[in-house]
Amino acid sequence: MRLPRATSAILGFAVIWAFLIIFVVFPLIRIFYDAFTGEAGEFTLVNFAEFFTDSFYLRSLWKSLLLGLAAVFTTSVIGIAVALLLIRYEFPYRNLFSYLTMLPLILPPLVGVLGFVFILGRAGTVNILLMDWFGLEQPINFMYGVQGVLLVETIHLFPMMTLSILDALSKVDPTLEEAAQGMGAKGWRRLRDITLPLTTPGYISGALLVFIWTFADFITPLVLGVQDLLAPQAYLNIMQFVDRRIFRMGIVISALLVILAILFVLAARQYVALKDYSSLAYSRVERRQLGPVRRWLAVGFLSLLLFISFMPQVGVMFAAVGRGWALTPFPVVYTLEFFRQVSIETPKFILNSIIFSGIAVALCLVVGVPMAWILGRTRTPGRNTMDALTTLILAIPGTAIGIAYIRAFNFPLPVVDIPLTSMWIILPLVLAVRRLPYTVRGSLSSLLLVHKSMEEAAENVGATKLQVFRDITVPLVWKGILVGALFSFLTSIQEASATIFLTLGGWEMMPFGIFTFYIAGSQSQAAALGVILIAMCAISLYIVNRIAGTRVGGLFG
Amino acid sequence: MLITPVAKTLTDPSLAEFAKFAKEKWNITVKTSALAAGTPVAYGRIVEWKGRPEADIFWGGESALFDKLTEQKLLMRLDLPKAVVDSIPNSIGKPKPIPLKDPKGFWIGTVLEPYGLVYHPKIFARLGIPEPKDWDDLLHPKLKGNVAQCAPTRSSSSHATYEVLLQRDGDAKGWEWLKRLGGNTGIFTARSRDVPSVVAKGEFAAGFAVPSYMAFEDRLAGFELKFVAPKTAWITPEPIAVLAGAKHPKAARAFIEFMLSERGQRVAMERGVFPITPKYRVQGAPGSTAELAVEFTGGMRSYFDREVTNIYDDDIAQKRYEQVNSQFRKDIESAWEELKKKY
Repeated sequence: MRLPRATSAILGFAVIWAFLIIFVVFPLIRIFYDAFTGEAGEFTLVNFAEFFTDSFYLRSLWKSLLLGLAAVFTTSVIGIAVALLLIRYEFPYRNLFSYLTMLPLILPPLVGVLGFVFILGRAGTVNILLMDWFGLEQPINFMYGVQGVLLVETIHLFPMMTLSILDALSKVDPTLEEAAQGMGAKGWRRLRDITLPLTTPGYISGALLVFIWTFADFITPLVLGVQDLLAPQAYLNIMQFVDRRIFRMGIVISALLVILAILFVLAARQYVALKDYSSLAYSRVERRQLGPVRRWLAVGFLSLLLFISFMPQVGVMFAAVGRGWALTPFPVVYTLEFFRQVSIETPKFILNSIIFSGIAVALCLVVGVPMAWILGRTRTPGRNTMDALTTLILAIPGTAIGIAYIRAFNFPLPVVDIPLTSMWIILPLVLAVRRLPYTVRGSLSSLLLVHKSMEEAAENVGATKLQVFRDITVPLVWKGILVGALFSFLTSIQEASATIFLTLGGWEMMPFGIFTFYIAGSQSQAAALGVILIAMCAISLYIVNRIAGTRVGGLFG
Repeated sequence: MLITPVAKTLTDPSLAEFAKFAKEKWNITVKTSALAAGTPVAYGRIVEWKGRPEADIFWGGESALFDKLTEQKLLMRLDLPKAVVDSIPNSIGKPKPIPLKDPKGFWIGTVLEPYGLVYHPKIFARLGIPEPKDWDDLLHPKLKGNVAQCAPTRSSSSHATYEVLLQRDGDAKGWEWLKRLGGNTGIFTARSRDVPSVVAKGEFAAGFAVPSYMAFEDRLAGFELKFVAPKTAWITPEPIAVLAGAKHPKAARAFIEFMLSERGQRVAMERGVFPITPKYRVQGAPGSTAELAVEFTGGMRSYFDREVTNIYDDDIAQKRYEQVNSQFRKDIESAWEELKKKY
């Protein structure tokens, strides 16, 4: 081993660890420090004691856990059904459905719930039609309450479940199932003994993400007036700075969200660890033709699902072009004014979004691809910690990260004498940290598909490590990296939970714009910006889908 | 650069007009921006900035918060010309006068703005009940599940109006009243700004404790909602101040002076708030937004035209701020389900 290369490798390794320690570990330590100290900075457990003796907080915790489980249940039922249909059976428009059923996932925060309220709210299209046509006196309450939250989360997140299952199923070698069938295991038996055990890891990681996402979402419950959940309590307590005691409780709840997320990840650890790829070959699955009746049942089921799933999009679309829309099934006055206001008049939302997300993706690639290589190709010490940290980032609620950053980086930096929280680079940084796991996983899963023997063969004929990486590895894995990068972009551009806490004037990205328009009562402008964002994401997702097919699922798993 | 809970529809035109004014008067191009944040958030960020603010001006909220910031040395003395300061009366209202400027000179009021209630006339017509005139009308049994409000822990306008009711009825009866309102409430919104929005959209029939201009924005956006300021409604002077350590103190002062000039006041009056000096009255050509605002707020043109009743005592409110919040949390927020059944 020649020294210079070893030195540069160590240097690179150190830079990656420095990045992880400064931008992941340090802020989390800061938030725990806050949670475990009193006003004077002394160590105390009083904050947690207050939480666990307060019946309102306990009820919030309990309800949050139940809601998370309920969301796992509903998304499982729908997600698995969709996945099985898509991968095992042939029916009309299968490819179209395959793309469309992924779309709900890219519904930006706030837009989904607003859209649903426009259609299913007390004065939404459905209730107004019921009242106008059937003389219904009081509107039916579809939305305001836990049922509404569950509906929004289910529709938003079932594709995540579908993708995880699709990914897992397409890794199940069909010969295994055929062998089982040959030995007499049919139908349920085969499903129970062969298919389920092999798809469990994919399912568990999907379920974990659905659970944590629901658990940590504060925007949806808030719009629907549900405040006795943990995440809304964290947000509300922190967003009122006047009462320091309540503020500190907000930090305590954020710390608790992090602790719980860690616990969940630990509980599901054996399923979500990166190394456990049961089989890495993506196999071609023979699809069975469905009979005529069942074929149309499948189409009917998926169409109904999509009908409900696209309510929010339709709702925001109407709200974006309707002026003064209230108490009529559809807007009465139409205008393109709101689109003009949020794009041509104030282009900063779109521009900032593209620039910051672009920088975030670049950062992800610079840090994430080498990380994937370290995890997949080396035996360096600390690898497992790095792996665990990556999984952890995926699990930590954005709210907690945003709060952690504002607490951790509010001191003037040495040379420039400006705190990091006053520099716009903090937004791409926090986005990069949040999306890093996608890049790492996207790159890693492709990397693991490239057999090491190919690289070794090249090395044997005299290629240096760098040449091997450039000429063998990169050409084989670029697709995975690109998909990971695009997916990071797609999710960065939608991110709101962490950035809401860190955005200063002039740095507003689209989701923040949607949020501020909504706060300012301009629902139409919020909706117009939402429509633009959805369109941008739909295009990126289409590209991802074209390049990657079902492999997007591997990013979560 | 402003940090403000005042919504865009008031800040944006004010800033734009100020930029024009600066160009005309001094031939300077001023770059302005507003960081929108609810009162508590804005206050919290200013405290977190610890004298190294990202904004120059704090505009809006309750004067008590400005006094708190002054105590923490986070505000700069305004040093406005005497004529400007003197044009604003010290206070308004009886029996409890509302201060309109800081005797120490750290903040000054900009406009007068009542915290009242909003309602959607179409829903009231459908329910067959008369349109509300006073707070008590919100307790009508037919409005069950149809009232929107924001918790006093989240909204300063809601907190102030809770105090109005508590100080009007006394503690025991006041809390009973607020519990009954809780029983009629269909949603606790996350922010006070959501209250007029959900009413404008027709999701709920009436909203409690809404600043007049917020409601007026929805009216301007083409919604049908209406606004009433009950006799005992509190009025905020929407104080403004320059933050200590501000990067552009000169421009900040110029903006404040501009807002208090006739031109600045006219911009604000077009947005559903009232002038802070007796010199001006909300008035415009027939069909103008100013006239629409007059119609929207029930025909009033200036608070200096009439006797102003104020029963809200800020000293009492500030002393028990946290106590009211925690009692609300215990007796109303946590017990909401029971209240809905009980009343």
